[in-house]
Amino acid sequence: MMTDILSVLTAENLLFLLDGLKMTIFYAGSTILLSICLGLILALLRSYSLGFWGKLAAMYIEVLRNTPLILWILGIRFLTPIPPLWSGVVSLTLFETAIIAEIIRGGLGGIPKGQFEAGHSQGFTFLQVLRFIVVPQCFRSIVPALLSQVITIVKDSSFLWAVAIEEFTGKGMILMGRFTSTAQVFTLFALMAAVYFTINFLLSAAVRRQSAKTGRKPTLEDLSAVTA
Amino acid sequence: MMKKFWALFLAAAMLLTTACSGSGASSAASSTASSAADSAASSSAAESSAASSGVLDQIKANGVLKVGVKADVPGFGLQNTSTGEFEGFEIDLAKKLAEAILGDPEAISLQAVTAKTRGPLLDTGELDMVIATFTITEERKLTYNFSQPYYTDAVKLMVKKDSGITGLKDMDGKTIGVAQSATSREILQAAADELGIKVSFNEYPTYPEIKTALDSGRVDCFSVDGSILGGYVDDTTVILDETYAPQEYGVTTRLDATDLAEFVDDFIGQLKESGELDEMIAAWNL
Amino acid sequence: MKTSPFSLDKWLRFFTNWEAMAEGFTRTLVIALLSLTLALAVGVVLGILSSSNNKALRRAVRCYVELFQNIPLVIQIYFFYYVLPYAGVVMDQFAIGVLGVGLYTGAYISEVVRTGIQSIPTGQMEAAKSQGFTYVQAMRLIILPQAFRLILPPLTNQAVNLIKNTSVLAIIAGGDLMYQADSLAASKLFYGPAYVTTGLLYFILCFPLSTMARKLEQRMHRKAAAPVAVSKKAPAQALAAPQTQMGGI
Repeated sequence: MMTDILSVLTAENLLFLLDGLKMTIFYAGSTILLSICLGLILALLRSYSLGFWGKLAAMYIEVLRNTPLILWILGIRFLTPIPPLWSGVVSLTLFETAIIAEIIRGGLGGIPKGQFEAGHSQGFTFLQVLRFIVVPQCFRSIVPALLSQVITIVKDSSFLWAVAIEEFTGKGMILMGRFTSTAQVFTLFALMAAVYFTINFLLSAAVRRQSAKTGRKPTLEDLSAVTA
Repeated sequence: MMKKFWALFLAAAMLLTTACSGSGASSAASSTASSAADSAASSSAAESSAASSGVLDQIKANGVLKVGVKADVPGFGLQNTSTGEFEGFEIDLAKKLAEAILGDPEAISLQAVTAKTRGPLLDTGELDMVIATFTITEERKLTYNFSQPYYTDAVKLMVKKDSGITGLKDMDGKTIGVAQSATSREILQAAADELGIKVSFNEYPTYPEIKTALDSGRVDCFSVDGSILGGYVDDTTVILDETYAPQEYGVTTRLDATDLAEFVDDFIGQLKESGELDEMIAAWNL
Repeated sequence: MKTSPFSLDKWLRFFTNWEAMAEGFTRTLVIALLSLTLALAVGVVLGILSSSNNKALRRAVRCYVELFQNIPLVIQIYFFYYVLPYAGVVMDQFAIGVLGVGLYTGAYISEVVRTGIQSIPTGQMEAAKSQGFTYVQAMRLIILPQAFRLILPPLTNQAVNLIKNTSVLAIIAGGDLMYQADSLAASKLFYGPAYVTTGLLYFILCFPLSTMARKLEQRMHRKAAAPVAVSKKAPAQALAAPQTQMGGI
């Protein structure tokens, strides 16, 4: 039993898993950064443009939000010439951008119209009002929802193993194929679950700390916008 | 609003579809161009077909041959976990081809592929060719160019030692784990039909998962080409002696890369004739 | 055009396999409905428990929620599929789909229910109790009906997430829509048509629900400030305005 457990926790195996963890952090990290930037653009278009671009943004968001992530991972991997490393980033980003756009749009919706008028009367241009007044307020108000979605993105990156991208789950499953005893399999799985849990628990603790500090608890709208 | 949305959605779907097939369309166009050039060349002078604007020239211009290989098949294509280097018979073959095309066996960029990813990666142009235990079938020939076979393997069955299974005949009502996009499913189904037994199949995206499924009792048998099974056998499992449907492996290229396909096919023919291919195979104890 | 992933030839070959797609679609639908039922049951019970005054109960629910929300669904499904058999528990993919996706979504729904209950002023519970209602009666007759209206939009969105998440079964040969499409696509090499059609089918399931959720949300917030729709004129006017006050802010 003990030897079985130790046979899983060798330095070689742990380093192998660490490689996967680095990939998971790379995929989740780049997806978070990219999808916040792109999501902001889409949210602004959907909220403030009634023309073609607004409609296009709305359509993009609806299509992506109503189809499963794994479909996009497979589609991007197999139907585009994007190399494997980046196809993971692209598919995750495409998908999460739509979700984050809706979170940001929720934040924008909560900002009183009067702020625009006040801004304009102070001589601000429309873009300046957005840049200096609306967007900063919006981001402050959506921090809990955004952080929750960050947790979801970390979890979602595990879907990349479906196209044999060897992130943390993938490396774990490759090791899993080598183990046959009950103790080994349970040990490896417990380790995998514990790693994800630790990362995400720390993030969710950050959500709680933030809401304690600002006194703003996650609202029903936050829970509605964040994906599971 | 709903109606409008749907109209827009459909329009976008069509746009996307045409945009994606745009790349396909351009390569299709170049294929008709090159086949036209081919027929013109064959009618005038056979040797001048080298002038056909081809994938070969493009590879020469790139200076590197992009090959998809297996990373988890001992003897064929295995990635060394500590150095990251690929090694195996198929890797040697890839290097030979790089030498023949570019004059340098090291002018290759190897990428690990799975049974499932190798086809699409060819289509997208990410790879020039695939040398990855890719079995030649009539149906696949509709989609890709295959060279003459460079190795003949067979589908085999791996079971738990304690299962008592000695062959397919013992597997009535059992489940067989296969890789998505592998030929083993159809072959075993046919063999089972012949035996008059009923088997069901579970398809998994990767080989480690099939092994895990076998270990946890989700499937009673792990079936794929014998060469691949060799990488997963351990002291609790056994590969049965039964073999099914010889699997001929061919070097795979895009359907429109006719010049490259021809070149590769000739080259394999030469290797076979000179006996060099057998030496390469023997070097890996295959 | 044969090399295009969307060639007509591939579409035609794909549609001869419509039965497998229909089978997968039905299975996805049934699994989604059953796991939604389970998720609602788990979510409502845990949501109410986490609003109770019993600290131990609240802590237990917290553990459940943190555990299920912080571990990827893929890992949870792998656990049911690959690990539990070692402990003698063998469920088929259908059961794993219902249970795995149901328990996972249940954690999210319990958070929705809890937040909904907490958004009802505590005075209502006190008032009900002073009128002689028991805790359970007050919950059932006063708090929950009000909370339900509030939580309907996020609940609907969770249902959408649940439908999408059933596609995780594709990685364990689950026979669902995504698995059938992917299996067909990979074995016959017409992944273009297979993926597009699959996307459309999921969209048909999810879009009406998520649209309903949005409509409900909008109705609820009609009074609150709506995002300003800027006429084409406004930015131009703003641009014309002097910018000298910029530094002042």
